[in-house]
Amino acid sequence: MRAAVILGGAWLVVAAAPALAAPPGSEGRGWLGEEMPLPLAVRTPQDLAVKAAAEKQYLIFNLLAGGKLAWDSGDFATAAAKWEALLKIHPLDPELEKTIRPLAHEARAKAGGELGPAAELPPPTPPGGTTPAPPAPPATVTVSGTIAGGGPQGPGGAVIWLKRASGETPRPTPAHGKVITQRGKMFLPRVLVVPVGTKVAFRNDDPIFHNIFSLSKPNEFDTGLYKQGASYTETFRHPGAVQLLCNIHASMLGFVVVVDTPYYAEADGSGVFTIKGVPPGEYEAHVWHEAAAKPTVEHLSVGAGGLHGLALRVGGDRRPPQFLPDKSGKPRQSHLGY
Amino acid sequence: MTARVLMAAVIVMGGASARAQTAPLAPALPPAPDVAPAEEPEPINDSEGYTPPAEGAGAPSPLSIDGYIDVGFAKAQGDGTSFAPGDQSLPADYGVDTFAPAVNSRGEVASTSSNGRFVNGFLPRSAGIGGNASFLLNTLDVDLKYAPPAIPLMVFSRVQFLPRFTGAGDDTRVYVEQAFGRLVPFESQEFAISVGKFDSVFGIEYLDNEANIRTGVTPSLVARYTTGQSIGAKLFYRIQLEPLQSAVSLNVAATNSGNFVEALQPPDASLTGEPVGTGRLGYELNTRGIQAKLGASAMVGPRNDQALQAAHQTAYGFDARVAVAGLYLNAEYVHVDEGEGGPKTTSLGNFPVSSAFNARGGYVQLAYALPFSVGALHKLTVYGRYDRRHAWFEGFTPITVDRFTGGVRLDVWEAIILKAEYLDNRELSGAPTVANNVFTSSLVYSW
Repeated sequence: MRAAVILGGAWLVVAAAPALAAPPGSEGRGWLGEEMPLPLAVRTPQDLAVKAAAEKQYLIFNLLAGGKLAWDSGDFATAAAKWEALLKIHPLDPELEKTIRPLAHEARAKAGGELGPAAELPPPTPPGGTTPAPPAPPATVTVSGTIAGGGPQGPGGAVIWLKRASGETPRPTPAHGKVITQRGKMFLPRVLVVPVGTKVAFRNDDPIFHNIFSLSKPNEFDTGLYKQGASYTETFRHPGAVQLLCNIHASMLGFVVVVDTPYYAEADGSGVFTIKGVPPGEYEAHVWHEAAAKPTVEHLSVGAGGLHGLALRVGGDRRPPQFLPDKSGKPRQSHLGY
Repeated sequence: MTARVLMAAVIVMGGASARAQTAPLAPALPPAPDVAPAEEPEPINDSEGYTPPAEGAGAPSPLSIDGYIDVGFAKAQGDGTSFAPGDQSLPADYGVDTFAPAVNSRGEVASTSSNGRFVNGFLPRSAGIGGNASFLLNTLDVDLKYAPPAIPLMVFSRVQFLPRFTGAGDDTRVYVEQAFGRLVPFESQEFAISVGKFDSVFGIEYLDNEANIRTGVTPSLVARYTTGQSIGAKLFYRIQLEPLQSAVSLNVAATNSGNFVEALQPPDASLTGEPVGTGRLGYELNTRGIQAKLGASAMVGPRNDQALQAAHQTAYGFDARVAVAGLYLNAEYVHVDEGEGGPKTTSLGNFPVSSAFNARGGYVQLAYALPFSVGALHKLTVYGRYDRRHAWFEGFTPITVDRFTGGVRLDVWEAIILKAEYLDNRELSGAPTVANNVFTSSLVYSW
């Protein structure tokens, strides 16, 4: 039986073969397509993403097809086990789930057993709907308050994020559609907070060229030269404040603040902020501001009712940089204009 | 799309199952064109970012005040000049040394003592410390920049307070080094007009000729011909060449005195009534791995240290800067000719002779910046420079000198720079060998 062939390192093709129709278990052999990880070379983060995505789809296919083969061979227990395992995968295409769930039930019934736990979940589809209702989220609350400080320009643009005081903070979901434009030789917005893994598009709305770069390790990047209307996308994979500069215009300055927590917010011009979806517990609040030499860190206890009216202060002790460097790190006198 | 393909497969399989249990599995799946990432919900705390208002509370101030204080400590060998003790053979124009080594960021020398002989006046300014080890307060600098919102105008002034020892050196004075406005009239063009007193446009050394931005302590041997400020107007234009990751720029100026430093020519008043023209044509390559900037400069006009329009000064030069992997290479060559003129005026006063003068020289500097982030220390730069100059007054023996400079620079926090360097000066021909090496250091506080 030859079940899987890797083509181009990017996708798999299942080749039909006569032996495939035979029950895998009856031959004392496993379903060859179940062998993972896939032999896909990983040299770059993109390779890793492709491999992970391919393996997920590979797993789905294996369970799907393996269940079918078992069904065809009369091995209903195996078919039920594979399809129940398939139903545990999240997220699963609703159409696929809709097809497989009754088959899993039927296979389990034919095998003479009770339904597996995966086949029980999620709750039944509401009448007329095709998408199962999501599981009830854990109880969360809101943390809100005001940040003061930030020097002469005030606290606007301060970024606050919460990390669990003990235990791991959940990994955030990357944001989508984030854009920083260059207009009037300025970054708009000047400060943007994003979760790790977020892609940010840098779009040139000026009728002149720009060359955006950052020397902030490990998030350094360089867009190269790009004209009006063009954009460049950068994925921010590491937490930290990323200073944005233009290699052509020595006065341009902006920031992307990358956080590795889903609990974050950016203060408005008055310093007001709101963080939603916070499970009650103990946290460390970190507050960053471009005018602060170092972030403020404070311990917070978030109760079942949330935390409101919180008053935090961030430093204003850092003057705007006198010289901004070019992309080789050499400082430039902005009054020269070039 | 992947799920749909699989769905098709299961439907095919399901159908086959209903028709005949023995039917073979569906044929090969077509290769998927792409692996689509799973859709993920938007983060609940998604933010659109913050942009400060252009005016009012929270808006950036249109006025910024910066500056620095440059405190030095230096020791020159000998009497602080490059004049050989007891040597009476030098011609009048060299009656004092024109090549005395600098001890600070302004290019000032330890001493210009003439030992009582005739002084022509072709001199740098002096710190007046002679051969003594001495602390120096080199510069107290105040920069004001005003950029009103919604107007493409920037006004800049740089005023420097220059405390000096009296007697052997100059008295304390206040020096308006720069004062100009810059207008960018077209939003779609990199084109700027500046009027006032501004930096030279000749070469590249003026770009980092202040203590708080220069890599080392002292300027090069040819800085006195290229880094002066003068009053006039200048135009800057640059065009980007996107396919080549390159740019070409043109910087031209018409000023009262060109780009000699103020120790050599009065930079403010026009003594001849005719401006000096200066220009630089530049090319930049800005790739991700390497930055290279090349330029050719020229200056032509009357000598502004005397009054005759017919007495011309001309200069041309070439420059290069390359930055790659933390390594910075700067190099410049300058060719200067001054015609004979009438009585002249310099930083030392009025003199009856304005001899024709010629100089050819240049330097190569290599610097390496180590990202050195340990507590407050965040950058360590080591650098070395080689200077060479060949110069003569018309009719006199040419003098050739060179200099090796090696130093270290430490950046502490964002406000302090500590530099120390040693200058090994050599008289190669035309002048007696003199003990005139220099140790100098500089502590720069930016504010």
